[in-house]
Amino acid sequence: MSEDKTEKKPEIVGFACSFCTFKASEMAGSLRLKYPDGVKLIQVPCSSRVDPAFLLKAIFEGADGVFVAGCHPGDCHFIKGNFYTRRKMAALKEMLDVFGMKDRAKLFWVSAAEARRFVEKVTGMYNEIKERKNARKEN
Amino acid sequence: MRGKKIKDGNLEAVLSRFLEDDQHLVLGFEKTDKGIGHRIFKNSLDHFTLFNPEFSTNGAFYLRRLFSKGTDIILLLRPCEIRAYTELVKLTQIEREKITAVSIDCFGTVSSKEKTGDLPTDGEGIKDYFKDPSKMRWACSVCRERRGAVGDAGIRIDKSGVLWALPYTEKGESFLSLLEGEPEETTTEMALAPNEKIAQFESDLKRFAEDFSKCIMCKNCRNMCPVCYCIDCVFNGDEYLPKGDALLNKIFRTGSIAMPQGKELFHFIRMYHVSQTCVGCGACEEACPEGIPLTKYFKGVSERLQSVFSYMSGRSFDESIPYVTFLEEELKNADD
Repeated sequence: MSEDKTEKKPEIVGFACSFCTFKASEMAGSLRLKYPDGVKLIQVPCSSRVDPAFLLKAIFEGADGVFVAGCHPGDCHFIKGNFYTRRKMAALKEMLDVFGMKDRAKLFWVSAAEARRFVEKVTGMYNEIKERKNARKEN
Repeated sequence: MRGKKIKDGNLEAVLSRFLEDDQHLVLGFEKTDKGIGHRIFKNSLDHFTLFNPEFSTNGAFYLRRLFSKGTDIILLLRPCEIRAYTELVKLTQIEREKITAVSIDCFGTVSSKEKTGDLPTDGEGIKDYFKDPSKMRWACSVCRERRGAVGDAGIRIDKSGVLWALPYTEKGESFLSLLEGEPEETTTEMALAPNEKIAQFESDLKRFAEDFSKCIMCKNCRNMCPVCYCIDCVFNGDEYLPKGDALLNKIFRTGSIAMPQGKELFHFIRMYHVSQTCVGCGACEEACPEGIPLTKYFKGVSERLQSVFSYMSGRSFDESIPYVTFLEEELKNADD
């Protein structure tokens, strides 16, 4: 955790499909778009490679937020991988909801061309978590 | 529904005749003076009992990785056990071909850890004994399917105390053809009605941490879970539960941690992994040496997760497990 007294910086772990979201993040780099450095991306061959156990591990090892990002439904490189992701993530969110931590996990659809959308999504998530984290600190 | 009335002693006679063949087996309950337990009967049906008011393990557990090799097996088990069997068949852990699964009406069970004195073993006696739900295990008092309405066939008791055998699949029909008598329409109402829904499970991390603070990480709950079947469990290595230097690294990264470490992670991941297949039998709680209310969490979470896909574990052989299938037009709002 950051030592900064005035502001806590969240850490977010993201699992990005190498065919779309990871490409989009590379494109965001070449377009000189900035996204918060607390967002750490892990490249996976397909969003359905992500077992929700990975996300749970990240959460319990100290990540403030986790996300999975893959191709839009129907555009999967492996034809149907992201349909499974969608089911798995819906279930994981329901499970986190039981314990009141629904806001920790997110699912994004970002295609390889949507660098701007990728930056918007992760920055939005980052700011949301940052706000909540700092609000909690005050009381 | 059409079924056959089972006359006194008829079922035992039929099963004994079935067991005369060397390649035939029956998995059921055996009553000894020490209590009641599972037994695979071969050749003879000694000390067989149809009903079992005691819960120690889930019988489907013994069927894992069973490929029958031409052996005919009849299962006479409780509904929760048959449901776990159904899930294992769908997970390709059991070859269904030669197995006839017969579920028997269950009025509730007591924990084998807490039982006192002799328990009744006949249907009516058990029914009377469990008139007061506080006598049964918590898992049984909130059971989702107590009726023998799952598997290939069911044995049910009607309100007047008569036993009925009802077929649900073709295999159930051939099981029924072993019994004497002609199939007839069931006239009277059955003793067990469908269960009412229980309230949606809610909890939070604080309560979870309190309940699981006693956990010693023996992993008995995983080992005795009928549907937790992976040979290479993710918790077998030290990827998820670091040891030695890796543990030091983790502590320096995240700060001080309570030992044994990784309790939350272990139970959360297991809760997710069995979420669609959990039958809520309570075998995990039965195996827990620390008496942690595992069923409350595992059953509660799994029921909520199953309801996302309108699925019920062990309901039928044809429904596939939600995580291995999908519909293109669903969950439109799943992304954020």
